[in-house]
Amino acid sequence: MLNERVVIEINRIKSKYHDAQSSLLPALYVVQREYGWLSPDAVAAVGDVLNVPRTTVKGVATFYSMFRHKPMGRHLIQLCTNVACMIMGAERLVDILKTRYGLEPNSTTDDGRFSLVVMECIGACATAPAMLVDTDFYDNLTEERIADILENYK
Amino acid sequence: MEKFLLKNIENPNSADIAEYIKTGGYKALSKALELKPSDIIDEVKRSGLRGRGGAGFPTGMKWAFAAADSKKPKFILCNADEGEPGTFKDRPILEKNPHLLIEGMIISGYALQAEYGYIYLRGEYPEAKDILEDAIKQAHDKGYLGDDVLGKGIRFYLHVHQGAGAYICGEETALIESLEGRRGQPRIKPPFPVNEGFLSKPTVVNNVETLANIPYIMEIGAEAYSKLGSPDCPGPKLYSVSGHVKMPGVYELPMGTTLREIIYTHCGGIRDGKKLKAVIPGGISTPILPPEKIDCPMDFVSMPKHGSMLGSGAVIVFDETVDLVKVCLRAMKFFEHESCGKCTPCREGVGWLRAIIERIYNGSGTEKDIDLLLEVSKNITGKTFCPLGDGAAGVVQGFIKDFRHEFEQHISKQVKAAA
Amino acid sequence: MITVTINGKKIQLEKPVTILKAASMAGIKIPTLCHHEALESYGGCRLCLVEIEKMPRLQTSCTQYVADGMVVWTETERVVEARKAMLEFLLINHPLDCPYCDKAGECELQDLVVKYGPSTGRFAEGKRTHPESYDDPIIVRNMDRCILCARCVRMCDKVQCASDISITNRSSKSFVEPFSGGRYNCEYCGNCLTVCPVGAIMSRMHKHAYRPWLIEKEVDTVCSFCGVGCSVVLQVRGNSIVRAVPKTGKGLNKGLLCNRGRFGYDYVSSPVRLDSPLIRRDGKLQRATWSEAFIYIAGELKRIKETYGGSSIAGIASGRCTNEDNYVFQKFMRVVLGSNNIDSAAGFAYAPAQKFFERIFGQGVTANSIHGISNSDGILVIGGDPTSVNPVLGLQIRSAHQKNIPVVTIGYMPGLKRFATNRLIPSPFAETALLAALVSELKSKRRLSDEKAAFARDINTIIENIPPVSLNEAGDVCRISPSDINNTVDAISNMTNPSIIIGRDILQRSEGHTNLLLLAALIYLLNGRIYLLSELPNEQGLVDMGCLPDMLPGVRPLAVDSFRRRYDEFFGVEVASEPGMSIVEMIDGANSNKIKALYVMCEDIVFNIPNSRYVKEALSKSELLVVQDIFMTETAQLADVVLPSLSWAEKEGSYTNLERRMQMLKKAVDGKGMEDWQAIAEISRMLGFDMNYRSPKDVMAEIARVSPLHKDIAYDDIVGDGFMWPYKGEPLRHGMSIEGIDIPDAKSLLKISDNDKIYAGMENPLFYSENLSRNSSALSSISPEPYARIGKALATKLSIIDGDYVNISADAGSIELSARVDSDLPENIVLIPNNFGDKGIFNVMNWKINPVIKSFVLDCTEVVIKKIKSAAEEVLA
Ligand SMILES: Cc1cc2nc3c(=O)[nH]c(=O)nc-3n(C[C@H](O)[C@H](O)[C@H](O)COP(=O)(O)O)c2cc1C
Ligand code: SF4
Ligand code: SF4
Ligand code: SF4
Ligand code: SF4
Ligand code: FES
Repeated sequence: MLNERVVIEINRIKSKYHDAQSSLLPALYVVQREYGWLSPDAVAAVGDVLNVPRTTVKGVATFYSMFRHKPMGRHLIQLCTNVACMIMGAERLVDILKTRYGLEPNSTTDDGRFSLVVMECIGACATAPAMLVDTDFYDNLTEERIADILENYK
Repeated sequence: MEKFLLKNIENPNSADIAEYIKTGGYKALSKALELKPSDIIDEVKRSGLRGRGGAGFPTGMKWAFAAADSKKPKFILCNADEGEPGTFKDRPILEKNPHLLIEGMIISGYALQAEYGYIYLRGEYPEAKDILEDAIKQAHDKGYLGDDVLGKGIRFYLHVHQGAGAYICGEETALIESLEGRRGQPRIKPPFPVNEGFLSKPTVVNNVETLANIPYIMEIGAEAYSKLGSPDCPGPKLYSVSGHVKMPGVYELPMGTTLREIIYTHCGGIRDGKKLKAVIPGGISTPILPPEKIDCPMDFVSMPKHGSMLGSGAVIVFDETVDLVKVCLRAMKFFEHESCGKCTPCREGVGWLRAIIERIYNGSGTEKDIDLLLEVSKNITGKTFCPLGDGAAGVVQGFIKDFRHEFEQHISKQVKAAA
Repeated sequence: MITVTINGKKIQLEKPVTILKAASMAGIKIPTLCHHEALESYGGCRLCLVEIEKMPRLQTSCTQYVADGMVVWTETERVVEARKAMLEFLLINHPLDCPYCDKAGECELQDLVVKYGPSTGRFAEGKRTHPESYDDPIIVRNMDRCILCARCVRMCDKVQCASDISITNRSSKSFVEPFSGGRYNCEYCGNCLTVCPVGAIMSRMHKHAYRPWLIEKEVDTVCSFCGVGCSVVLQVRGNSIVRAVPKTGKGLNKGLLCNRGRFGYDYVSSPVRLDSPLIRRDGKLQRATWSEAFIYIAGELKRIKETYGGSSIAGIASGRCTNEDNYVFQKFMRVVLGSNNIDSAAGFAYAPAQKFFERIFGQGVTANSIHGISNSDGILVIGGDPTSVNPVLGLQIRSAHQKNIPVVTIGYMPGLKRFATNRLIPSPFAETALLAALVSELKSKRRLSDEKAAFARDINTIIENIPPVSLNEAGDVCRISPSDINNTVDAISNMTNPSIIIGRDILQRSEGHTNLLLLAALIYLLNGRIYLLSELPNEQGLVDMGCLPDMLPGVRPLAVDSFRRRYDEFFGVEVASEPGMSIVEMIDGANSNKIKALYVMCEDIVFNIPNSRYVKEALSKSELLVVQDIFMTETAQLADVVLPSLSWAEKEGSYTNLERRMQMLKKAVDGKGMEDWQAIAEISRMLGFDMNYRSPKDVMAEIARVSPLHKDIAYDDIVGDGFMWPYKGEPLRHGMSIEGIDIPDAKSLLKISDNDKIYAGMENPLFYSENLSRNSSALSSISPEPYARIGKALATKLSIIDGDYVNISADAGSIELSARVDSDLPENIVLIPNNFGDKGIFNVMNWKINPVIKSFVLDCTEVVIKKIKSAAEEVLA
């Protein structure tokens, strides 16, 4: 199920820890980065590599909100809507994504280009509103700015 | 005041080890390694440093507990989960001054005789991960980390461990569970982490800012350090200010600076000539304060006397245009989303609070709902497993205490509309 | 000394315990939901809050430890308000469907709501809903009702250690589920069901047939499946068992059961139970009356005994029958029919192993407490996966692992995979070389004791004469890296009093006797405690009652005159001094016409012995085959007379478990057959020998006089958790002579199996227990399809994937099975279970005897595997 590179990477991470299960979160990150999401098969396979019961892995993987359990679009927009961003207009941005791209929170555009997840605080309150596109960080967002930024992600 | 924690961050290369060393970095480490580990702990004790993660626990005392436990190995964990909404004070250290943190961790590792340190970094800071890992590598190459720190025969290894989106993992025992690859649910205390923490071994969990203060204490000495800031809570403090001020951002100020000074002196006051309506002083888990109370000093001891808490020192400022019921609702959605689900009152009760606030906000609430909110929150208070649930209840109580009229307005608007 | 005051009552304690515990010791009950005595404290439900003077916050009594001088109040107004609040919170998402819920009446939530007053129902929004799930054949889930106390998950994780369910998601979206989200696909111990306080997860077996208040009686008895002997309570309504449950804190299983013990009881009410005696007439088994059957059997036995002599008759006793049944059986054979040809399935491995170890170390060396396993300082497992053969014993090993006790496993043991510190999987049947290497290494690491006792001298001699085998030599033969073996040597040489757990596989080898010898050496070198895995609930009882060809009751060797004379005097007959035939010799004997009559009590020899075709042929050559059983087994189908027996739930008597603990069976329901001892006594009477027993109690009274081991045992002594070895009896304390024990030569220690050949091996799955599981609809629903387990490397070579159909053929026959691919299995073996009539392992396994152990071996069958149909084709078809 997991490709060899991923397995090697997981085993490398394992060596940083005193016990195998401690490397579970980083291992799930490796898999998610590679495949975009954590399919049930991938979850099971991570369990097998680390010798952690697969149901335990599932319990852990679903606890954390940054792991994805369904396929994502090519680019993941993580938009903060917590208080500081909210009072600085984050809700409007959510509306724009809806009107301009047909993108609702927790969904993917029909062309598979974007997925949107609304976030709790991402620590950018001074320059709110803010978002992550994949792992790139953007702040001081306005209606125009968000449109310009997203143009760079095809 | 001279900046220490945020020294040099305007320098675009501040994260580079050469720049750090150029401005005196890693000198504190050399100094510390000349001391006995127990002397460092005494020094930290005498400095009066209190943990900056929110609870304000005396750091030296925590270290002494862990040092006294004979189990091996020991671990030092840096809490870089910074999940409290409104908080972004650790971020400049992590991204702009990573060596300060690393230096603090090496010193603490030596003091505790811990050979392993982990930085538990929130998943929402992917850039910080790369920066920290580069910095660790640099420190390693320079001999500050690894098998033989500065040729002193001491071993210290440091790793970054990324969280994955769970506010509760900022709570130290949940953080440890998470680091062990489990669901991030808090543990029963006692045993405390200092005795049975990561992998059941003695473990110190300290906030980023706390650890970043360590080199400073080494540098200027406990004596001098203890004279900074408030008498009970010495040292510099990072305040992260957001919302409707002219100059939001992270400010390094003496501990105990008043909210008024922070908002008006340092952040330039309320923007667009609006009036101040309310302030959340320490992240959204801390009760909201009305403008009359902004003269209180922002430290661990003074804030509770004024009906709130210092928390993480995250100040969110609201001007007169803000609908506080909406803010309260958003806060409650946050707590509902972040409840780990372990204990009954938080898992079930916080969602209920959110539901009541939501119907008030949507205009279908009744007069009785405010009392119901108070009752439900009272039923949560003091009964939860960890402070998260308590915090949520306290937030609701705080909003109603000083801003009950806003809730009533929502309700009566609806009543009018119906009539 | 700690003094605490709870509700005004002063309590003195030696050491700190939780307030909850202290209160319960003082008879004060504090309500709980997430706490369970089998589990560690959790502190999640917050029901157990109490008020402690000088502490501002209420504290949870399940997590808070008492301190000296503490003053606690458990029912103050503040506490009661808090509890009400917690219940109100729980009911936010709990349906009010008590009238429909099977748990009502024993639901902990319902009880608390009744006690603390109903919620005022102030929650106006919709509840969280999940549809009732019937995805699983055995477990039904109503997750609406789940209160997220995590008891089930903690049970599965920390006690059963299966980790097959987890809480997924978080917050109020938390959800308990297995990996698939639907079917469990787990060990089905059902221990999660025991601990669920509400009706969220329940057994499907009694769905809507079960209401706690409809239970008419509860019968405390012992499980009928394996040699662990778990206590189980049968709940009965009318004449049927509606549920089998463990009683927390009771019995050696302390509230745990395995899937067989919990769900398997339904074989008792199977529609295919025998309900009438049958006699073969015109080549067909036809209904007959009891007296017709008895007359027929007595007449034939008389004729055969007179014509051919007693030694032409053979009897097979049963580890599913009680001590009383088995005692009467051997007496019937020896005293009435004049034959020592008595054996049973215990003769396959259990009895020979025990006999060998007792010969060297003295009687009772295997009688060790199961709880000792998790308290020893190391564990070595070989010859079978305890988690499937003796599941509740297996849990001890898992629990030991959690306590960081080193666990070494030798052989393929999937159930211990995550729990072994050192895991060695030798190539098929090559354990001998590995054991020899371990002995060689330990010999140099441990000084042989200079104890003067005779047995020590003997075993020292044996050990010194065992040819040395190096790590490299063993590594070559076993295909294990020498460094892995060396690590294992390091691990075990640090153990000072390990538990050594031995399964039957290690004996069922051409070199089985050599393995035994090597094991004895290891046990001695390691100062180990022996545990013999036992597949039958009364396997030990067979041995102790004298159902062996060479042992009298009390495990007294027949060959010793004084023992025999005592027996003779008691019954006024003279028993032959030559040992009788073992079970496999009986079959060979029938085949060669030496055995004319076979009396089989509740043992399916056709099904349970390799080469079914050969066994059938042999049996059909006998002049008389009598079978007592509860089902029309493969053996019964060949019989001349079949007598219906009573199942374990329908009779009384005692079982002796693998610790040699004697425990009582209690009758729960009525059956249509006759107790085994009674049928035999009737036939005996017709043959002119009156056995004057009115009940098993009378039989036990006689056992207490005949067997020195059971001296002075009274039937009524066997109560509660049973009667422990050495009872009040007289075990033979000293080892017996080692004369005649051959020391193996280097060659037999290093037999290399041919890498190009593929061998058949037997798998003992958790869900199978011979005819009982085959007739339990619950157990057979879990894994209904016959299969062959194939190692990954072999599967890849033959392009077989999971679910493909394969043909497996050998000299003895061929079968078609679906494949299960497993990466832990060595390349040249395929494992097949024996649960599926004509699709079981014994349809392909050859007939081969180990003449020392006098039983069949399982390392003798080469097979050819061919893929015949892919899983995908099967789906299309
Ligand atoms: C719900 C909750 C969230 C917390 N989040 C954080 C956090 O994000 N960062 C942090 O440093 N401490 C956090 N804490 C506090 C930690 O539990 C702990 O007290 C702190 O890391 C100790 O470090 P210090 O002594 O240096 O303050 C949190 C506590 C709670 C109860
Ligand atoms: S209060 Fe309870 S449910 Fe909430 S986060 Fe803490 S332990 Fe989890
Ligand atoms: S039946 Fe046993 S193995 Fe299966 S989920 Fe329940 S506790 Fe776990
Ligand atoms: S299913 Fe039962 S035992 Fe498991 S968490 Fe829910 S209520 Fe508790
Ligand atoms: S372990 Fe054995 S005795 Fe116990 S329940 Fe399972 S089958 Fe029955
Ligand atoms: S029983 Fe103590 S919190 Fe549940």
